[in-house]
Amino acid sequence: MTDQRTDIDITLLLEGTYPYIRGGVSSWVHGLIGGLPHFRFACIFLGSRREDYGGICYELPTNIVYLGTHHLFDYADKPPIKPPRLSGEAKGLMSDLHIALRSGAPGTLDIRDYLDDAGPFGERAFLYSEAAWQYITEQYEAAAAEPSFVDYFWSVRNLHTPLWVLARIAAQLPPSRLFFSPSTGYAGLLAAFAARHQSRPLILMEHGIYTKERRIDLMKAEWIRDSRNIIQRDPTEVSYLRELWVHLFEVIGRLTYQAADPIISLFDAARTQQIRDGAPAERTRIIPNGIDIERLSSLRRPAGPPPPVICLLGRVVPIKDIKTFIRTAQILCDALPEAQAWIAGPEDEDPEYSAECHELVNVLGLGEHVRFLGFRYLEEILPKVGLLVLSSISEGLPLMVIEGFAAGLPVIATDVGACPELINGRPDEMPALGAAGRVVGLADPEAMARACLELLIDPEMYADASQAAISRVERYYDRRQMLDTFNTLFRERLGSDG
Amino acid sequence: MAGIGFELRRLADSETYFGLLRAYAYAGVIGSGPWVLSILAILILGFMSLGIVIPPVLISQFQVSVTWLIALSLIYTGGIQLVFTRYVADRLFAHEPWRVLPNLIGLLLLTLTPVFPLATAGALWLLPGTSTAYRLLMIMGLLLLCVVWVLTVLLSGLKRYGAVLSFYALGYGCAVAAGLLLRPWKVEGLLAGFVLGQIVLAIGMVALIWREYPPTRFVEFDFLSRGRLCGWLIVAGLFFNLGAWIDKLIFWLWPGTGSTVIGTLHASMIYDTPVFLAYFTIIPGMAIFLLRMEVDFAHAYDRYYNAVRDGGALSAIRNHRAGMVIAAREGLLGILKIQGITLLFLVAFGDHVLRLLDISPLFGPLLMLDSLGVMLQLLVMAALNILFYLDRTRNGALVTLLMFVSNASLTFVSILLGPYFYGYGFASAMLITALVALTLADRTLNHLDYETFMLR
Repeated sequence: MTDQRTDIDITLLLEGTYPYIRGGVSSWVHGLIGGLPHFRFACIFLGSRREDYGGICYELPTNIVYLGTHHLFDYADKPPIKPPRLSGEAKGLMSDLHIALRSGAPGTLDIRDYLDDAGPFGERAFLYSEAAWQYITEQYEAAAAEPSFVDYFWSVRNLHTPLWVLARIAAQLPPSRLFFSPSTGYAGLLAAFAARHQSRPLILMEHGIYTKERRIDLMKAEWIRDSRNIIQRDPTEVSYLRELWVHLFEVIGRLTYQAADPIISLFDAARTQQIRDGAPAERTRIIPNGIDIERLSSLRRPAGPPPPVICLLGRVVPIKDIKTFIRTAQILCDALPEAQAWIAGPEDEDPEYSAECHELVNVLGLGEHVRFLGFRYLEEILPKVGLLVLSSISEGLPLMVIEGFAAGLPVIATDVGACPELINGRPDEMPALGAAGRVVGLADPEAMARACLELLIDPEMYADASQAAISRVERYYDRRQMLDTFNTLFRERLGSDG
Repeated sequence: MAGIGFELRRLADSETYFGLLRAYAYAGVIGSGPWVLSILAILILGFMSLGIVIPPVLISQFQVSVTWLIALSLIYTGGIQLVFTRYVADRLFAHEPWRVLPNLIGLLLLTLTPVFPLATAGALWLLPGTSTAYRLLMIMGLLLLCVVWVLTVLLSGLKRYGAVLSFYALGYGCAVAAGLLLRPWKVEGLLAGFVLGQIVLAIGMVALIWREYPPTRFVEFDFLSRGRLCGWLIVAGLFFNLGAWIDKLIFWLWPGTGSTVIGTLHASMIYDTPVFLAYFTIIPGMAIFLLRMEVDFAHAYDRYYNAVRDGGALSAIRNHRAGMVIAAREGLLGILKIQGITLLFLVAFGDHVLRLLDISPLFGPLLMLDSLGVMLQLLVMAALNILFYLDRTRNGALVTLLMFVSNASLTFVSILLGPYFYGYGFASAMLITALVALTLADRTLNHLDYETFMLR
């Protein structure tokens, strides 16, 4: 840890990403810090438990002057079991706070209330006081169903305890002139606490939609016990406890939105979702990811008919819906026997799903046409490919589409995340640049194969799409341009801190 | 993508704590085993004098010797009894039954080693004018009783009441028979019979434990490992037994009320007869108490913690808590009712009964008072039982401490106030302790939901 706490311009609050975990957001953060060397950054990493992480995965740029590492679920420092003496109004105050938290009122962000160990909002009051007990049981009784009380109780505890951990971390953060969180969630709340505590501005950015991702996680989570029996269980109804967790992240998200300005998203659909989730529309703003176009432009093929190769760049996992890609390959190969379909990405994340995909290829007799390449570098793969295909059932702003565009490759993608605006352009695009590929419905291999075929057999149409791809990426998704935007934004917010 | 993976499984796993709670229930049998049985034994030995075959002086020497042995051994092992029962319950809960016997032997080795020199020293200096055989038998008797108490509590804790009673019948049957056979050797003969009875008793109980929990090693000191022993239980066991005996000890040793019977062993002619008879009167209350506690309350307790553990709704948890309160209340009322009837009976026919037993009717008032005190002591035990069931060992220990301190000080005051006040010390000490213990038990039951979830 660099202990140079003085003169921090921007503090980044990083939840489970940079610099301990590799991934899209981590690379983005690394690029941002390296690309703005005149600012002095502090990185605050927020992890689950210490043992979940290894060493630092990146060579830290020299303008990171402070790195703090905290873990939310290392519960070593639980306060001793000793109920605090609270006034008779404590329960009423707790109830008021709860209502205020749910509505995202900014007054709830004052961490001094939470750090007052003897007060009604202190951790001891929550864990041990009789007032809290009464409030929790009342809330339980107010719920329509009667879920298992022990599960409810521990869910409530586990839901709330990070609040005090975050408040303690927020109180310790070194002084900074600006706070920047690239996600909502716990890091977002920490950023909101810290910004409020130090009376500094907060910039929020969402690469994905955190609340939505957590919702998906929670639906899959097996650790949330569902104590309903077969008769009580209505499969269409999400268990009450899962709903509690989802609700928590919604509340945290709203609180962070209330405290942040601006609230940045990567593409228009994400911005709309933020507004739906409680972000004030006037503070929302879109700053798309940018890439190093120059590096990839050297990969562009000279004009001419495209090679009959479609390629999916991505991990072999269910969310990428690799099986639809394989079925697309089958239909395409029926019409275009020389066609090839490549899958370039690691297969070790979900071995069971990978095995199923290989099995599907065998069953469909596509051994000649479909190839699993494993992880490959862009330089190696993009020049040999005619079209990039993205069959995902969920995406944010997929980097591989932009990278493909930079290499002059049109993209066939499902109607998810930013794909429609990447391929067809945003409604406000002036002048319109045309379609850089095709958007098809989810899990519709016929439409996908039709779209691939259309572009592969019509060189003129292909050339138009390729040109639109290059023009769009140069206009909107240039890394230098993105850095300029952030540079201006940071300067503006640093100047406005009074 | 960004986000902390959900590594919360560990936190959601709140199971282990509730599982452990069950084990505490075993410790709830405080004292009810050896305490009652020892009193019964003393009474039975007393009846040996009813046959005129043995001269009364001999009987009284023998009875006083054994009473002292019982009192000292109970007090000495008081702390160990509870704490070891709890240890065994924990080991059984952890599915380690083979640990029971080696650790029992380890515990006995550890606790009996200091008894031996102490008993020898006591036999050398405190028993002047007695034979070597008498002294040796006293040392053996003390050691055996220590073993027997630990085994008795252990088996009661494991709910083997039937076996315990059978072994006691066998052991004391042997003691009486051998005593009759050996009576030509006077007090030594009677004592030898008693020691023989204890040997039978100890062997029988060890054999039962051996059969139930076959050991894999001879001796082990696992019970000394960190976190295996609960300090408050030691305090509770020690002071419960001290509290139950301190008024007798004071009456024995106070010059005006006690006198030497054999060696330097004292007894109190005025105090002993009524107080031991009084213990006889609580047998019906005791039966009600055991039945209510071990059946009704234990079931309500099980239902309550099952509802907590297996994800019952809050309303169900509250209902079961109410069930525990009702069971406790019924148990306490049952004790009051049946002991009330017994007291009324004593008021009406006490004198007749005393005359029938060839005891002076002058003891009548003291017998009444002691019966009241003993009934209150039963209420203390009931409240303690609730506290131990609910794992409030600290409060339980404080109640026994209060019982000891109040019984000691008030008995002393009653002696200073004169013969008219004898018995008031014991009775008022038990009244105070019972009120405090019942209040604590009531508060614990009232706050049970809150404390179970929030403060554990």
